[in-house]
Amino acid sequence: MLRAFLIAVALGSGAAQAQSPETLGWLRKMHDATQKLSYTGTFVYQNGPRSETSRITRYVDASGDIEKLEVLDGMPREIVRTKDTVRCYLPGLRLVKVDRRTERDFPALLPERITALARHYDISLGETRRIANFDCQAVVLTPRDNLRYGYRLYADTNSGMLLRAVTVDAAGEQVEQFTFTQLTIGGVSREMVKSRHASRSWRTEDTEAAPARLVGWGLSSELPGFQKIFELKRRLGESRSAGQVVYSDGLAAVSVFIESLEGRSDPVRTGLASMGAIHIYTREVANHMVTVVGEAPATSVQRIANAVEYRRPQ
Amino acid sequence: MKERLSELMDGELDDRSAAAVLEALGRDREARQAWGTYHMTGDAMRGGRPLSEGFAARLSARLAAEPTVLAPRALPAESRKWFALSAAASLAAVALVGWMAFAPRPQVAPSAAPVAQAQPEAKPNIVPLPTAANDYLLAHQGFSPRVSLQGMAPYVRTVSEQAVEPRR
Repeated sequence: MLRAFLIAVALGSGAAQAQSPETLGWLRKMHDATQKLSYTGTFVYQNGPRSETSRITRYVDASGDIEKLEVLDGMPREIVRTKDTVRCYLPGLRLVKVDRRTERDFPALLPERITALARHYDISLGETRRIANFDCQAVVLTPRDNLRYGYRLYADTNSGMLLRAVTVDAAGEQVEQFTFTQLTIGGVSREMVKSRHASRSWRTEDTEAAPARLVGWGLSSELPGFQKIFELKRRLGESRSAGQVVYSDGLAAVSVFIESLEGRSDPVRTGLASMGAIHIYTREVANHMVTVVGEAPATSVQRIANAVEYRRPQ
Repeated sequence: MKERLSELMDGELDDRSAAAVLEALGRDREARQAWGTYHMTGDAMRGGRPLSEGFAARLSARLAAEPTVLAPRALPAESRKWFALSAAASLAAVALVGWMAFAPRPQVAPSAAPVAQAQPEAKPNIVPLPTAANDYLLAHQGFSPRVSLQGMAPYVRTVSEQAVEPRR
């Protein structure tokens, strides 16, 4: 109750504030660094008591960029992203999951949308701090309501490269964190972003995603600030076909997956599952399984899920 | 601070000092961790079963999903203190986690008019991650605008350990 009051106060007092150009400039700088720099480094992903170390390498040339992520702890896993595909290599299963897109599908937090972020977040400059031998500036995004998380983003003062990203909940507690422990900017060759797996004989799961309209499906009420950004049909896993609708407030995104229950033998486990900042809410609507996945507080994911409805087209 | 915490735990503080320590707990993360540790130690010494890992986080999530109806005007400091004290007196650690989830954020000024909050959601049924969580995450992650600020680092969530169980 108290929190509802505080959120109300935050909404009432902050909504009209303009963000300083300097602060938005920092977000643009991070954005540009992410698009333009080649780098290789080691980062730790932390969520609750769990932490996992990974290596990330990005190579940029005139033809575009290739990025490779290798998980160094536990079961070896590797993901390579090129302009139009994301390939996830799982050597333990001898399996490659391929997610294809047209280039325009990759979402972008376009520079002009950065200004729009200020509608949902109060954006301010935080402290300066040294991270992995880089002097960093913190940019703090405080949500204006309880429907999204807050973020502390630490960018290298020279290059703008994001060295640490912390997600915090409404109580100010850390939900998850990504932080580089070592980073080298530049000096990356094309060779370094190739998969190290000879996966030709592995099983391939191809998502075959393509933009489509999901006739009859929609939300009875949208979640404030979250707008529909993509609607597509795709495959999930080996053979299941699904519809996917993505909603975003410009920074956080929530996907709604819709799969027919026809011919499905195992029962649907309805409810909420959580992993760090990600929540997954499953329910049944009109003989379909609706699975809502997003990096947003549980309430937001649940609200979107509960608003999913099917109306028979007239 | 740690000494004050253990006094609070043992019920040795008067109302005023207890309120001050509880206030400090709301602000000080380290103190909260110490508070949690003391209780776990106490529980272990009494031979109680420890709470499962992530209990506090799950409890907070359940609390957060509780109905939030209309925003009340400022809650008098007196009632807040009472709530905190009763929390400390009873199911101390558990209740306090809940209390802290609702603890005031320091930067907010208590003056503006109340605004209606959205309709409450029913309490969700907590389930383990779906077996196909990895597929959903891989399909979802690429659409997050965060990728353009952070590159593909968030994809690490796609393939985190428990999500990579072989499918039946």
